[in-house]
Amino acid sequence: MRTGEPRVVIGLFDGVEKAAQAAHALRSLPLPEENVTTISSVPLPDGAVTRDRRPIRFPWIVVVFWLAGALGGLALTLVTYQVYPMITAGKPINTVPPAIIVSFEGGMFAALIATLVLGFRSIGLGPFRSGRKVFDRRIHEGKIALCARVDTGEQERLAIEAMNASGGDAVRAEEGEL
Amino acid sequence: MKRRWAMVIDMDLCTGCGACVAACVAENNTPTVGESEAGKGRLMQWIRVVRYFRKEEHDETRAIYVATPCMHCEKAPCEIVCPVYATYHDEDDHVNAMVYNRCIGTRYCGNNCPYSVRVFNWWDYKREKPLDEQLNPDLTVRSRGVMEKCSYCIQRIRRGKETALKEDRPIRDGEVLPACAQTCPPGAIRFGDLDDPESAVSRMMKDPRRFRLMEHLGTEPSTVYLKKMRGPGR
Amino acid sequence: MKIENHLSRLDESKLYDELSRSNLPATKRWYAGTGALLLVVLASVAVFVYMMFTGLGVTGLNRPVMWGVMIILFVFWVGLSHSGTLISAILRITRATWRAPVLRGAEAMTALALMVGGLYPLMHLGRNWRFYYILPYPSERQLWPNFRSPLLWDAVAITTYLTGSLLFLYFGMIPDLAIARDRATGWRKKLYTFLAAGFRGTHEEWRRYHVASTLFAVIIIPVAVSVHSIVSWDFAMAMVPMWHSTIFAPYFVAGAIYSGIAGVIAVMVILRKAFRLEKVLTPDHFDNLGKLLLTFTLVWGYFYFSDYLTAWYSRFPEDWEVIRSYSGHYLPLFSLLVACNFLIPFPLLCLKRVRQSIPAMFAVSLVVNVGMFTERVQIVVPSLARRNDPSIWATYFPTWVEISFIIGSIAMFALIYVIFSKLFPVVAISDVKEQLFHTTDRTIGGANLSTVVSGEGKEEGRET
Repeated sequence: MRTGEPRVVIGLFDGVEKAAQAAHALRSLPLPEENVTTISSVPLPDGAVTRDRRPIRFPWIVVVFWLAGALGGLALTLVTYQVYPMITAGKPINTVPPAIIVSFEGGMFAALIATLVLGFRSIGLGPFRSGRKVFDRRIHEGKIALCARVDTGEQERLAIEAMNASGGDAVRAEEGEL
Repeated sequence: MKRRWAMVIDMDLCTGCGACVAACVAENNTPTVGESEAGKGRLMQWIRVVRYFRKEEHDETRAIYVATPCMHCEKAPCEIVCPVYATYHDEDDHVNAMVYNRCIGTRYCGNNCPYSVRVFNWWDYKREKPLDEQLNPDLTVRSRGVMEKCSYCIQRIRRGKETALKEDRPIRDGEVLPACAQTCPPGAIRFGDLDDPESAVSRMMKDPRRFRLMEHLGTEPSTVYLKKMRGPGR
Repeated sequence: MKIENHLSRLDESKLYDELSRSNLPATKRWYAGTGALLLVVLASVAVFVYMMFTGLGVTGLNRPVMWGVMIILFVFWVGLSHSGTLISAILRITRATWRAPVLRGAEAMTALALMVGGLYPLMHLGRNWRFYYILPYPSERQLWPNFRSPLLWDAVAITTYLTGSLLFLYFGMIPDLAIARDRATGWRKKLYTFLAAGFRGTHEEWRRYHVASTLFAVIIIPVAVSVHSIVSWDFAMAMVPMWHSTIFAPYFVAGAIYSGIAGVIAVMVILRKAFRLEKVLTPDHFDNLGKLLLTFTLVWGYFYFSDYLTAWYSRFPEDWEVIRSYSGHYLPLFSLLVACNFLIPFPLLCLKRVRQSIPAMFAVSLVVNVGMFTERVQIVVPSLARRNDPSIWATYFPTWVEISFIIGSIAMFALIYVIFSKLFPVVAISDVKEQLFHTTDRTIGGANLSTVVSGEGKEEGRET
């Protein structure tokens, strides 16, 4: 075992209270907050067991994609009217309301696709998965898994101890990422 | 050379004989749909003669005939709703053009025409021999699924323009006539170029009897009517 | 003091088994039923192919009634698809606590109803095989489609909404697919593993998932409103009496949501019975849906009356002829419309006894759906049949071809829904669990109440 290589200590807990207790014990080890997370079948309120401080920024990028889509819709209408001008009903060649409608829909279309792709990227799903992720199927039975990224050696041992002391089941160390 | 074709229908002269309808059917390869289809409202004629009756007290019942071809509106409501530009306003002739091979048959133009002059090919109409020899080679036979309407006999307009160009002279007034104008026995339907100040239609446009059908809709039709005069003996 | 939440009382795997009964392997009865639906759909497709090769003359359409049952079906199914958007998106954003069991069924309804409705603009074309002229692609003809036409706006909007609702449905299913993945075997496991895309349920994943879900909901609501507005503008932009009305956009959107809620109620009743979901879909849920339906009965009635009043009062000659036909040739249609859309649902839905009775709600929802279909007929047909020039007035009655399309569309929707419910979790299990997790019991004085938590925690980790 090489010291310093990150491993993950994972333990199952029966309720939120026990998991919170264990997380508190881990934090006082000390383990930095961003190295501890839960895996659960229901979303736990932020701060119940762990807290996620990394900012979520991708909605702003979705706005950028909305603008790009809207510009695409605008180009589709106004530019093509210039390139292929046809008189209909005596209306002007460049009509504004249809351009607004198509630009709006184009923007929304781009925003929807962007939300999916950027959401996947932010969560780390699908093609954006990297590395071997730790998981335990027993979370679907109501257990909450508490995971901590630790350095091998002393930190790992202390973490396992802290989790066992708080009433965890199946506490073990695994290779993988949070 | 640009022209503004227009049609003037004098209701004083119209007797409602329907010769214009027959001529249009002969000229434009219009199918004959049969009695049951006609009863369902699927007549294919591009011009119709509408007959309205009027009964006043102490007077006999009178009929008025309104021959209704396509109005070729300057602000045609049918043009703007076609999703594929199968109908548009031809700027050289100022007519409403219909492009059969572009039409995909949404029938929105038919719904948007307030005069209901547009008809739709509900079937592939077959012409038994020897009726197919009656077809006019100057224009197509439309397949099922496309809209069609009066075109001011655009094939005759084109031929007239080509002939005039070949002979290096302007088109004479009355030289280019749609089938209905050519056939009308009392001469109620007149056709010509509004840009020519000497043409018959230009003079008739200044007639105080002139009115347009459904003028309040603002479609600016090129087909105008001259009101029927009423009074003793008329 | 630890307060026990409702989720901890339950065995989560038993809960999953109960809620995912639809995903059990198919029985002979399922195959028989699905096969029957498939036969009806195929028959309908055969009728369509016949129509395509013979011409639209096999329908009852004529001049001037150039739009008929196929357009009516288009508007009807697109309207029905507004169900999921309202229930799912709006209730998600406003965090209504009772939304959980209804979400998935409603979202599925949206996507699947759109798939059915989106076929009809293609089916009603005279030359269907040339439908691609609508697509903007550079061609030798030097023509692009006409973006001034409402039908093009339709194409853009329906594409966007269909994509959006499918993505919304898929994204909402991801946590449930993760559970299914972990409990399935064989080919199902492979399917769910692929679709769940590696979702695990870490704290960071849940937070980002919530943000993305909310963002989807926020985007899909304006899209839904715009889609049915654009569909209404197919009519409102035309110079047809009683169509050319500025109120059409909000009127149609309100009508769509109305029929959508009724559709959701009907589907929920069927799901509840078929998959024995009595414990999650309680009479309280139908009570809340019924209150929504009542609201929209009133909203629909308000818009319809406003539209009718302005046309009736000013008596423009063209509009007046159409209104006169409502008490003439189209009186049965008009009476059916007013009865089914307002006179029957309104008093019934005011009664709590009706709202909490599931058979009654099923009946009311079917009545509303019939009423809304009749409303579409009422909008399309009389205006065309009694339009500007009286010399060409005609009547319209659908032929066997169009009736088969009506039946075929219902069968197609049922077929896709049945297959969907067999393959995918039809109850939003994660949302149900989340609601149960947030629900606790509290004693206030002598009363025992259940309270639901909402909001994020404060710094100390205490829930507010």
